[in-house]
Amino acid sequence: MSVAVMTARPTARPTPEFRAGGTDFSERRRSGVSQGLVVDISASGDKAITWDANGAARIGALTTIATIATDARIAAAYPGIAASAQGLATPQVRQVATLGGNLAQRSRCWYFRRADIDCLKKGGTTCPARSGNHLYGVAFDLGPCVAPHPSTMAAALLAFDATIATDRRSGLSIADLLGDGSVAHADHTLAAGEMIRSIALPAPLEGERASYKRAISRTYAEWPLVELCARVVITGGKFQLVRLAAGGVAPVPLRLTAAEVALHGQIADAASIAAAAKAATSGAKSLPMTAYKLDLLQGLIRDVLERLSD
Amino acid sequence: MTATTINGRPLVLPDDPDALLIDVIRDGGLTGTKLVCGSGVCGACTVLLDGVPVVSCLLPAQAAAGKALTTIEGIGSTGLHPVQKAFMAHDALQCGFCTPGFVVEATAFHDSWRATKGTATPSREEIAAALSGHLCRCGAYEGIFRAVAEACSGRFDGNDPVAPRLEARDKVTGLARYTVDIHHDGQLEGVILRVHVAHARITSLDLAPARTIPGVAAVVPLLDDDNMVRFVGAPIAAVAARDRRTALQAIAAISFKPEPFPAVIGLDAARRDDAPIVFDKKDRKRAGNVSEGAGGAPVSWKGNVRGPSAPFSQKAKQAKSWLDEARAQRNPLLVEETFRVSTQQHASLEPHAAVARFDGDQLTVHISTQAIHESMEKIAKRYGLPHDKVRVIADHVGGGFGSKGSLGLETIAAIELARAAKAPVRVAFDREEELSVAGYRPAAELKLSLLPSTEGRLKALSLTAHADTGAAVNSLIAGLARLIYPADAKELVDYDVLSNLPPGAPFRGPGGPPMSFALEQAVDEAALRMKIDPIRLRKLWDPDPNRQRLYDWAAGLDVWKNRKPAAAQEGRYRRGVGVATGYWLYLWQTGSSVELAVKGGRIVASCAVQDIGTGTRSVIANTVAKAFDLEPQDVEVRIGRSNLPRGPGSGGSRVTASVVPPTLLAIDKLKAEIKRTASRTPAPGSNAPWREMIAASPDIAVSARRQEDGTPPPGIRPALHEAGIMGRVFGWVLRLMNHMVVGAGVPSSVQVMEVEVDTWLGHVRVLNAYTGLSIGKLAAPMLARSQAAGAVIQGIGYALYEARETDPLSGHILSGSMEDYRIPGIADMPKLEVHFDEAGFEHVPGGSVGIGEVATVPTSPAIANAIRDALGVRLTEIPFRPDRLVAALKGRDAA
Repeated sequence: MSVAVMTARPTARPTPEFRAGGTDFSERRRSGVSQGLVVDISASGDKAITWDANGAARIGALTTIATIATDARIAAAYPGIAASAQGLATPQVRQVATLGGNLAQRSRCWYFRRADIDCLKKGGTTCPARSGNHLYGVAFDLGPCVAPHPSTMAAALLAFDATIATDRRSGLSIADLLGDGSVAHADHTLAAGEMIRSIALPAPLEGERASYKRAISRTYAEWPLVELCARVVITGGKFQLVRLAAGGVAPVPLRLTAAEVALHGQIADAASIAAAAKAATSGAKSLPMTAYKLDLLQGLIRDVLERLSD
Repeated sequence: MTATTINGRPLVLPDDPDALLIDVIRDGGLTGTKLVCGSGVCGACTVLLDGVPVVSCLLPAQAAAGKALTTIEGIGSTGLHPVQKAFMAHDALQCGFCTPGFVVEATAFHDSWRATKGTATPSREEIAAALSGHLCRCGAYEGIFRAVAEACSGRFDGNDPVAPRLEARDKVTGLARYTVDIHHDGQLEGVILRVHVAHARITSLDLAPARTIPGVAAVVPLLDDDNMVRFVGAPIAAVAARDRRTALQAIAAISFKPEPFPAVIGLDAARRDDAPIVFDKKDRKRAGNVSEGAGGAPVSWKGNVRGPSAPFSQKAKQAKSWLDEARAQRNPLLVEETFRVSTQQHASLEPHAAVARFDGDQLTVHISTQAIHESMEKIAKRYGLPHDKVRVIADHVGGGFGSKGSLGLETIAAIELARAAKAPVRVAFDREEELSVAGYRPAAELKLSLLPSTEGRLKALSLTAHADTGAAVNSLIAGLARLIYPADAKELVDYDVLSNLPPGAPFRGPGGPPMSFALEQAVDEAALRMKIDPIRLRKLWDPDPNRQRLYDWAAGLDVWKNRKPAAAQEGRYRRGVGVATGYWLYLWQTGSSVELAVKGGRIVASCAVQDIGTGTRSVIANTVAKAFDLEPQDVEVRIGRSNLPRGPGSGGSRVTASVVPPTLLAIDKLKAEIKRTASRTPAPGSNAPWREMIAASPDIAVSARRQEDGTPPPGIRPALHEAGIMGRVFGWVLRLMNHMVVGAGVPSSVQVMEVEVDTWLGHVRVLNAYTGLSIGKLAAPMLARSQAAGAVIQGIGYALYEARETDPLSGHILSGSMEDYRIPGIADMPKLEVHFDEAGFEHVPGGSVGIGEVATVPTSPAIANAIRDALGVRLTEIPFRPDRLVAALKGRDAA
């Protein structure tokens, strides 16, 4: 039942939208959630991965997720980025979906995705998920909208301190790009007509390791209940650097700083990891239906960090 | 205009930036590429773009510019690809609707594997990862694993194989045409306008604005005559236009005013005393029907609650008093629990669809249906047409699972639009319609009390089921517990709880899986308390001879004998093994007829039956071929047309038992007729006397109707006889009203599941599944195995993943996409062992009964019992999602 079938009124002022791979866009188009002009950018943008002398990569925004997932040098330098790319969507979608599109994709909230229901992201005044069914909602309730940010790559890039360049600005952190979760109407801070051009990753640190995992109910091809990209440097059996970025739990990808602090300088073993996993949920504010996400978050931290500590 | 090539031929792409590749492909007549989910998750629309698999349902057409596009039709166009041959040989398909997508992806995987790894065999994990962007609702994954592995290893580089499924070649090449693929000259596209509120009276409806839109050919109202709408998505009107986009514009132009009524959503809200009423007394007959048979005796209503319905109770008062007494005495053997099962959507990959066309007064309707003959009768009755003026066609049906058994709105809309437009009209539900208003197995709350006697027999059982039926009635869950595990007393009570949700519908063994989910866990719990092996207890309590043999098989499995107790397990991952039992009725349809003919020296078998992926063609071909010493491929099977001899509907697992017996009768008649008309006898010592005689025979035809069964051995009775006089009454009603006979002997299933639980991430994986089935002789062994495997994976979906999500206030279905309604993928398929016990139905001509339903009944409780075995904690609500697992584990920690 697309929008017209349901006789709903247009829910938002149609604004022009960029289309890269079109995977998220076409679905919203089919359902009637997106009704504005299409600006196809697939032929015009940057699809290259380039490396500087320090071993730092710059990824063009139109690079496909499959390219990132299978690029040997990316996998060696930034294994958490490669693993995140391998873990998202399906093989066919990864072939055409782009990194820029992944960052700028729209919310997966059930209510947002239905053209016949108003919500904050579509110019409405209330969040129907908050009072309704928010099984897949946030567990860190940071703003009026309770949908977690959908971008797996954003969480990965957050863990790697990536910066983003648009056609208007450069040096944007993930937080600059996506905001702090307090803004309900958008999934990012890009101005109308502003386009992501490229993503820059700092050169990997000596001895750093990284990994990614998502908690889902099936084996593959499911939006994460919770996902975690972790990056560590372990020297002499102790954590020298820990970067934990979680998706699926908050309106924006979340750095788990309390857990990072708890682990810094600690022995890389199951006990310290378990303690840090508990600390990771400090400041969490779950909804009536989402407390389980905090358990899954702890499980993921233990899973990923124990593997990285091996 | 930009150009590309499709299967090597030039293709001009449209300039429209919104045009999607799938529409360009299908509008060009290449219908092997299927539209299913429209969200890139099921892979049915997969095509190759410069050799790379992509989903054409999301791909802008312009993205194909300058690239070589290959569809399923372009694969193996000069001879079958090894993957196609392997799919055929391993029966890696059932309804076939997902097959083109799987084949396209698998050929790309195969070609790159062979290029780099030669003829090494890929692992299950490698295959699963490569095919993780595909979904199959029939659950053909087991065959797909085998097919891809063996194609990669080079085993299918040679000659074309003989496929156990008669129509397999058409399905692996994309040539099989389903209802959605039908295209007549001048055909219009129909779309249904649906309401966006849960409960209202439509006080005004203006169709005129839609009629003025260019390209619109017809607009018809679909409102019920009381002008009420009782769920989000209830139909208001339908439009036929030159294309879907125009039709969508037209329905958006229709204006109507809903006068809102208070609405109530879901089981818990609807049974409150102050809940708004969904159906007033006078309107109750407007409710839908969630069962396969007709309703039984009149049932009382209170508000939205219809019931109690308890015809199958047995000494209910006695049961109650024994259970009260046990409760008062805190009898440690008394098992009491409340279970919950969730709503299960059929999620057939081919949506409900119909294409209607009038040629003068002759109406031809292609329908994606489970009942072509009955649909023809119902259409004729509804529109006052003689039977010979209505022809229903379904050559291939992309899944049904119970949802396509009755005359649906898609058909009514297509017929009425075609009549009004004087042109052929196609109506095909979109995925959201399919996953919201096209029926479902209702969720239910099941309150159960089970009391063993001090001697260890089953003394009393009480089961009360409240089913979340939406705008429908007639759920039968608790009553089914009468037909297994005889007890001294049983109180079995069913209630329908109606609310402003779409109506439920029959779904594969309707109330069987929910009943089994509760009862089989209770029996398991009783065994734990009685400190007796759960299979041993079932052997004691369940005298059915078919299941007795299956229990012996299950008890002998290594996985069962080597179980470790939960208490012995520590750490993150825990393993458990569980068992459960299921049964279904053996049903056949009276009047089912088969015609056998020799035409042009070839045997032709004809029956107005449909093949929804279950293998009806092969069942008939195998039966005929065996009798004449032919290969099944030598027999031409004509089905899928209502003007053939009357055949059964595909529901109640009745097809095989309805068509094999008359086929056997017809075989005898045809043999006699061939001999009688033969001008000469075969050469003495001929290796193939029948083949020679058929080749030399003049054109002749015979037909036969389904005969009664032979006398069963003593003690073999119809399942309904367990329910005494009420069971017999129920049987009579079924025969009179539904032309269905409950035969002697009980199709049965015993399953053993081994699971691994990840206690950190709340993830349950079924590692190994063992399914033992007693369904008589196998008319088509490989296809029976495919159904057994498919039933298990569908049961795994029910147990672990599948849940319909609704908004509790507005009544919108939130899980209306395949992203959000989660059916199992190939990686979720466990290793499977199938055991067929072919005895028990010798009194049935041919010895075969149906498999579809019984095979899925015990899967969810077997998994529940395995989780209990792994964790020492019993989960009572499915699906066992991560959120429920971690909550249950916390509950245990807290306790």
